[in-house]
Amino acid sequence: MALLRRPLLLLLLIVTHQFLQFRIAFGSVNEEGQKQEEFYEELLLKPLPDRKLLTHFHFQSSAPPSTSNGRHHHLFPKAISQLVLKFQVKEMELSFTQGRWNYESWGGFDPIPSSNAKPPGVELWAVFDAPQHLIDALWKNLTHTLSGLFCASINFLESSTAYSAPEWSFPPASGKLRYGTLPREAVCTENLTPWLKLLPCRDKAGISMLLDRPSIYRGFYHSQRLHLTSTGSGSEGMDPGIILEQTLTVVLQPDSQRASLAHASEKHIQPSWSLSSIFGKQISGRCVLAETSSVYFLLDKGLVAELEHIHKENEKSEENVLISEKFWNNPSFELSAKPDRIFIEESSLLSKNASVLYKFEIEKYGESEPFDLGLFWKTPVVWLCQQAPLHANRFLMGSGNERGAIAISLKSTQSSEGFMGSNSNDERCELRVDVFQVVPWYVKVYFHSLQVFVDQQPKAVSDIIEKIHVSPSKDKVSPGVMELVLTLPCSVSSAVLTIEFDKGFLHIDEYPPDANQGFDIPSAIVSFPNFHARMVFLENDSLNKSPLLSKFQEKSPVMSYTEVLLVPLTTPDFSMPYNVITITCTVFALYFGSLLNALRRRVAEEERFLKDKAAKKMDRIPLLLSKLSAKLRGRHLEGPQAPPASSSFINSKSVLKVILIAGLAVYWQYYFS
Amino acid sequence: MACNTRNKYPAQVFNNENHRLNLYGDNVEVDYRGYEVTVENFLRVLTGRHETAVPRSKRLLSDEGSHILLYMTGHGGDEFLKFQDSEELQSHDLADAVKQMKEKHRFKELLIMVDTCQAATLFNQLQSPGVLAIGSSMKGENSYSHHLDSDVGVSVVDRFTYYTLAFFERLNIYDNASLSSLFSSYNPSLLMSTAYYRKDLYKRRLEEVPVTNFFGSVMETIHTDAAYKALSRRNSGRFEDEMSLDQSVHHIERRMLIKVNDGYEIHDINPEGEEGASKCPWSTFRNKFQKAENVDSLVNYGLVAMIPLLVISTWLVQ
Repeated sequence: MALLRRPLLLLLLIVTHQFLQFRIAFGSVNEEGQKQEEFYEELLLKPLPDRKLLTHFHFQSSAPPSTSNGRHHHLFPKAISQLVLKFQVKEMELSFTQGRWNYESWGGFDPIPSSNAKPPGVELWAVFDAPQHLIDALWKNLTHTLSGLFCASINFLESSTAYSAPEWSFPPASGKLRYGTLPREAVCTENLTPWLKLLPCRDKAGISMLLDRPSIYRGFYHSQRLHLTSTGSGSEGMDPGIILEQTLTVVLQPDSQRASLAHASEKHIQPSWSLSSIFGKQISGRCVLAETSSVYFLLDKGLVAELEHIHKENEKSEENVLISEKFWNNPSFELSAKPDRIFIEESSLLSKNASVLYKFEIEKYGESEPFDLGLFWKTPVVWLCQQAPLHANRFLMGSGNERGAIAISLKSTQSSEGFMGSNSNDERCELRVDVFQVVPWYVKVYFHSLQVFVDQQPKAVSDIIEKIHVSPSKDKVSPGVMELVLTLPCSVSSAVLTIEFDKGFLHIDEYPPDANQGFDIPSAIVSFPNFHARMVFLENDSLNKSPLLSKFQEKSPVMSYTEVLLVPLTTPDFSMPYNVITITCTVFALYFGSLLNALRRRVAEEERFLKDKAAKKMDRIPLLLSKLSAKLRGRHLEGPQAPPASSSFINSKSVLKVILIAGLAVYWQYYFS
Repeated sequence: MACNTRNKYPAQVFNNENHRLNLYGDNVEVDYRGYEVTVENFLRVLTGRHETAVPRSKRLLSDEGSHILLYMTGHGGDEFLKFQDSEELQSHDLADAVKQMKEKHRFKELLIMVDTCQAATLFNQLQSPGVLAIGSSMKGENSYSHHLDSDVGVSVVDRFTYYTLAFFERLNIYDNASLSSLFSSYNPSLLMSTAYYRKDLYKRRLEEVPVTNFFGSVMETIHTDAAYKALSRRNSGRFEDEMSLDQSVHHIERRMLIKVNDGYEIHDINPEGEEGASKCPWSTFRNKFQKAENVDSLVNYGLVAMIPLLVISTWLVQ
């Protein structure tokens, strides 16, 4: 019995052990309700009115809250989670941009421009979850870590002259926000490489395979952005969950030569394109670590309205072809792949038209059947993208190296048909505009010279400016920050803000190597808090939530960035230190040299001294003997015997020697011949 | 630089007019660029004196077993190299940094390649052992670019760099090329300058040092599903012998290194160690002549030399 019991017991143990293991493995998901790390990849394609194409890559990675010790990641990049924990970052955004977002042609009211149109160069802002006195030190260390991580000179933002703390004009408004930009930072492959290394599939599988570097950097605008939010407060023993959103927005021009030549004569048809023609590659399968992998094709509401209008004119039928099953018989354009789902935007009160979104799932494509979406235009279409209520521009005024003025001009755009109607109940319809501008300390702005012109009429500042917060610059310590809230009448056609400045002087060490190019004033941010850029596409199944569409549904204010200004400052002559040293040393040498000469030099002093010595010694032969012995001694002890100073003495010595030798030779010849 | 708006081929850097090889690649990472490239940062990287906040990827992090390749190119002259058109790196600064590195045991072997005008003067002042240096031209000579790419609008590559790259492109992963074959591959008529190298501070013989000592090799990995098979008995014995020889060589080197460090003192550079100095007595005589400060002693020498002449002439006359 005992013999039988042993193996039975062993078997029982093994079985329970396996069972427990299974329980533990599933327990982490089911019983404790903890979420796993998730990764989503999406690509959005949108044709733009000026024959260009917008491609927007969206990658989202999330890590759930977990216990402080033993945090293991299998999808989420560890570098980012360490950064969030070490610097107590609550929210952070870092963007690298090259090019300028063309608000007139590409729109300013959509969620894409509001969150992805960034100023050129590097922009970094961060909200910290720490006491106020520690935030500056945390910001400094954060800039250094990011510069090492992304191969850029973000560490230049560490000095207090480079960053600022806006209080309420920059969303998210918080007292613990720090904001800094570097307008002249170059963006190239070396910034994209570490950004791609944060993705689970890098650029080897999935949608990120499309990222052909020459095609991206040949675009008109490209911006790579990294946005992270840590959710949940850091309660004791629990690390907060982190959501990391990486987006890459590229505006490209499809090469019209690569498109079919059949319609070459029709110049005003939009160019046809496909993924392989713009990137040179196709998507051969999804990233297996991604929850969802989809490609979206978005038709703007203006474009949809134009297409429906054309269709109604031609076909005279009420059917909306774009969402019907036979959409590929569309007389206006043809898509090369059949979409899996079609979404229509929930029409809001503002406009009657709705955007149309086609969704393509990448799951069913693979190596043997790669995914390549192509668009072929059949008829010429012209449309307008929806603009922000006012179009913001900024320029410099004045001339010379001493003073100047900055002007921000806001011009109304005519496209938005709705915002007038929203407040039409009120007689006094008002448009609220927030302006946030940071000016470096060497451009000394005089805030009392702020003037406002509405419809080219000067107005009193207190009429238009509802709230203003100014932080004047301190030389070499902090930049000048200006935050304004303007309330303009809805029927405004143009408004201009001007402010005067003086140009300051920099120390010679503070000039960059290319000082004669000028110095940059970073972009100002103009936002419209009462208008929200959102597109709502309702999804029926909540199981497959798309982070891109959720982002579009967020109520974020409409924002636009102005241009970066280039201010020429007076530059010194950098060769002056060398010139000064040379001239000073020459003057000193001449002065001291002539002084010493005048004081100590006696002309022909040595010759007279020797003549006296020679006169004292009457005999010739002892004189010659002494000279010879001196010569012999001189030959052996070199060094302490310094050679004679004046040149005349050397000459006489050598002449004497020549005479001596000649005399010896003559005597020898005569005596022995 | 590759994404400068003036580059017609953004994110691509070519070494040849035929645009066959894109040197910039897809996975490049650059640690210091733009305004950060200053002499101060360069010397900080070499000596390791960084501020505390500087991240690890921007530090050299080398130790006493590291082999370091330092490649510098641009504009330069007699004992200097230009940085960003506003400051210069001088040869004695570089020598001082290398000396600090040696004292702190931050490298075992260092190869310095310089491709500027009068490049060989930049390492004139080096004295630390374990350093091998080659420059593309000697004092008084210019280094030239190879050819102009009219498509891009600038000269794409310098001659020295072009021939270095051509040497490496000719190798495959099984070649065991040595540094001496690299250094002797430079043809002065093709380079239009003399590539001069300095090996007096480097104790190993150049024929024995493979180029992979300093230049990383990119290995092509071949994925196999089969398990890794161990080497046969016969081969493994030989392998062990090679291993032990290598270790003994290292042992000898380490001993030598310690000896040098113990009795290290500054001494004048031995002119016979340099390539190109001949042992002709005429040159030594000329050196002595140049060193002579005393006209006096010269005349004395002349006097002494003339007396036997006199004796001979009188004897002949008689």
